[in-house]
Amino acid sequence: MIEIKNLAKTFAYDKKEAKARQKKVITDPREGEGVFHAVKDVSFNVEPGKVLGLLGPNGAGKTTTLRMLSTALQPTEGQILIDGKDVTKDPLYATKQIGFLSGKTGLYHRLTVQENVEYFGRMHGLAKKELDERLDKIFTLLDMHSFAGKRADDLSTGMSQRASIARAVIHNPRVLVFDEPTTGLDVISAKTVLDFIESYRGTDMSVIFSTHHLHEVEQLCDQVCLIDLGESKFFGTTEEFSAISESGDLYSSFLKLVEVQKEVA
Amino acid sequence: MWLVYKKEMMELLRDKRTLILSILLPTVIFPIIFFFVGKFSGDRAQEARVQEIKIAFVNSEEMPGLRDLFTSEKNFKKVNIESNNYKELVLSKDVDFILEVPEGSLAPADSRVQQTVNLHYKGASQLSNILSTRVKKIFENYNNVQRNKLGDAFNIPNASLKAFNKPLEVENKNYASKRERTGEIAGAMIAYILILLAIAGAMYPTLEVGVGEKERGTLETLLLTPMNKSRIVLAKFAVIFSASFSSVAFTLLSYLFWAYIFTNALNLDAIGFLANVSTLDILLIGVLLIPLTSIFASIMLSASIYAKNMKEAQAYMSPIMMLGFVPVLVAFVPGMELNWKTAMIPVTNVALAMKDLIKGTVDYSLIAVLLASTALIAGALLYFVTQFFKKEKVLFRS
Repeated sequence: MIEIKNLAKTFAYDKKEAKARQKKVITDPREGEGVFHAVKDVSFNVEPGKVLGLLGPNGAGKTTTLRMLSTALQPTEGQILIDGKDVTKDPLYATKQIGFLSGKTGLYHRLTVQENVEYFGRMHGLAKKELDERLDKIFTLLDMHSFAGKRADDLSTGMSQRASIARAVIHNPRVLVFDEPTTGLDVISAKTVLDFIESYRGTDMSVIFSTHHLHEVEQLCDQVCLIDLGESKFFGTTEEFSAISESGDLYSSFLKLVEVQKEVA
Repeated sequence: MWLVYKKEMMELLRDKRTLILSILLPTVIFPIIFFFVGKFSGDRAQEARVQEIKIAFVNSEEMPGLRDLFTSEKNFKKVNIESNNYKELVLSKDVDFILEVPEGSLAPADSRVQQTVNLHYKGASQLSNILSTRVKKIFENYNNVQRNKLGDAFNIPNASLKAFNKPLEVENKNYASKRERTGEIAGAMIAYILILLAIAGAMYPTLEVGVGEKERGTLETLLLTPMNKSRIVLAKFAVIFSASFSSVAFTLLSYLFWAYIFTNALNLDAIGFLANVSTLDILLIGVLLIPLTSIFASIMLSASIYAKNMKEAQAYMSPIMMLGFVPVLVAFVPGMELNWKTAMIPVTNVALAMKDLIKGTVDYSLIAVLLASTALIAGALLYFVTQFFKKEKVLFRS
C-alpha cells in the first residue's frame, strides 16, 4: 500500500533567475518570492494489485511527484508511506521497494542487454544466484533470451523498451512507477509496455502510471489522480473520474477539471 | 563503488575512440610521427650540407683568390651566365648564387682598403640558409687570408693582428651536464606534454560518465538504486582518474621505450639524455601526476555533472583546459624554478618539478612540499565534487 499525504516540493531560484522573474508578469500561482512551488499539495494512495493513472497537463507536477516517490527528490513537506513506512526518513527502503521507468530512461549503449540488467540487479544488492534466477524469469516473461547478448546500441526500439522494463523490475520491487513510459514509442513498442503493466494487475504489486494517453488509462487503471498546478484535483476510481463529465468519458472529465482550474486562476 | 567503476571502465574500453585517443595516439602514433618528421627534416638538412651549389662569377678575374676558394671547395659548381638579369637567373634556379665583383676592384690586401662585392641569391627557407652559411664560410676564409696579408703589408705583428680582430676571446667552461642543458628545454616540453595529456585524457571519460549519463537517461535510474551517491561519484572520479593517469603513464613509458629505440637501435642522440633519468625520478614524475590528475578529474567531473547537455559540458571544458595550460606555460618562463614559493602554485609546481627531475637538479624536499600542497587541493576538490553530486539543483538542473 502506498500513501502520499499532502506532498509538496519547492525549488529556490538562483539569484539571477529570481531577479529576472521580478521583472516579468507572473500568472502562475505557484510562483513565490524567489521560489517555485512545483508541487503544492498532492495526496493519493494505491493498494496492492491496483494500477493508478496519474494525469495532468504538462508542467502540472507529475514528474516531480514521481521523483519524490522514487526518492530522487526530497519533499519539502508531506509524507510518502510504503506499507506504513515513511520513505522520506528511510530512502534506502524505498529504493528497494520501487522500480522506476520513464520514456526518457535509457540503457548503457556499450553494454549488452544482459550486462545492463545485471548491473542494476547488482546495484540493488542481489546475490549471484538470486540474480541469475531473476534474469531467467524476466527474460522468459519478456521474451528477451534471443537478444540478451546484443549490445544496447544494436537494439530495436521494442527490444530497448523490454530491456528497460527488465532493468526496472530486476530487484523484484513492490511498487512500479512508470513516468510516461509510452511517450515517443510506436504502437508495437507501446503495447509491450502496456501489456507488461496489465500483467501486474491483481498481483501484490502497486503500479503508478503517469500518462497523457487517456485510452491507456481507460484500458489499465483502476484509479485516477489528476494533478494540476501542483495540486491533486481529483482522486478516485476510473469510473468516478468518467462520471465527472456529462458525456461520461475520460477526455471530457479531464478537460472539465482542468478548465475549472483555469477559470479559477 | 567497485561495481560502478568496473561497469564504467568496461564501457570506456569498449569505445574505440577512447582507446585511440588515450593510449594508441600518445604512446605509439605520436612518437612514430615525431620520429619520421625529425628524421625527414634531419635528412633534408644533411642533404643541404652536401648539396651541389651552382655559383656564377661576374668579373671574378678582379679577385682570383676569392673565386679559387669557391671553385676548390667540394660540391661547388661554377656555372656560366649569359644574361645580366641576376634576379631572374636566381629565381629561375639556373644558378644558386651569383658573386658579382665590381669592375676595377682589387683584393683588399692589394688595394689596402675595404672592398665590396655583391652576392645574389634567394634565401627564404631554412634549407637555403644552410646553403648560404656554406657560402659565408668561404667568405670568412677569404677574409682571414686577406687579414693576414694586410697585417704583413702594414707590419703588424701576428699577436696584435689577433687582438685587433678579436679583442676578447671567450673560452666556455660550462659545467652543466648535457642532461641539464637538454633537460632545461626538453624537461619543460615533456612536462607540458604530460600535463596536457593528463587533461586531455580526462576529458572524454568525464563527458561520458557525467553529462553522458544525463543525456542517455541513465543517471536518474542510477540514483534510484540503494548505492550511496558519494560512492557513485567516487567511482566515476576513479574512472576518470584511471583513464587520465593511465594515458599519461603509458605515454611516459612509451617515451622511455622510444628513447631506448632511438638512441640504441637507430643511433639518434637527440633524446638520449632521457636514458640518464633515474628510475626514482621517473617514479616521482608518475607520483606527481597523481594529485595533479585528481585535481583536473574533480574539476571536470563537477562541470560535466552540472551541465544540462553535452554541448554545455564541452563549452566548460575549454576554459578548464586553459586553466591547465597557462600555469604550465609559466614553467617555461626563463628564471622560473622550483622553490618554497613556487612549490605552492598548483600545476606550475608540478611542471617545474618535472622539469627539474628530467634535468637531474631537483630538490627532493621541495617535492614533498609540492605533493602535500597539491594533495590538499586535490582532496578538497574531491570533497567538493561529492557534495556537488548530492545537490538536486545540479542533478535535475533544467
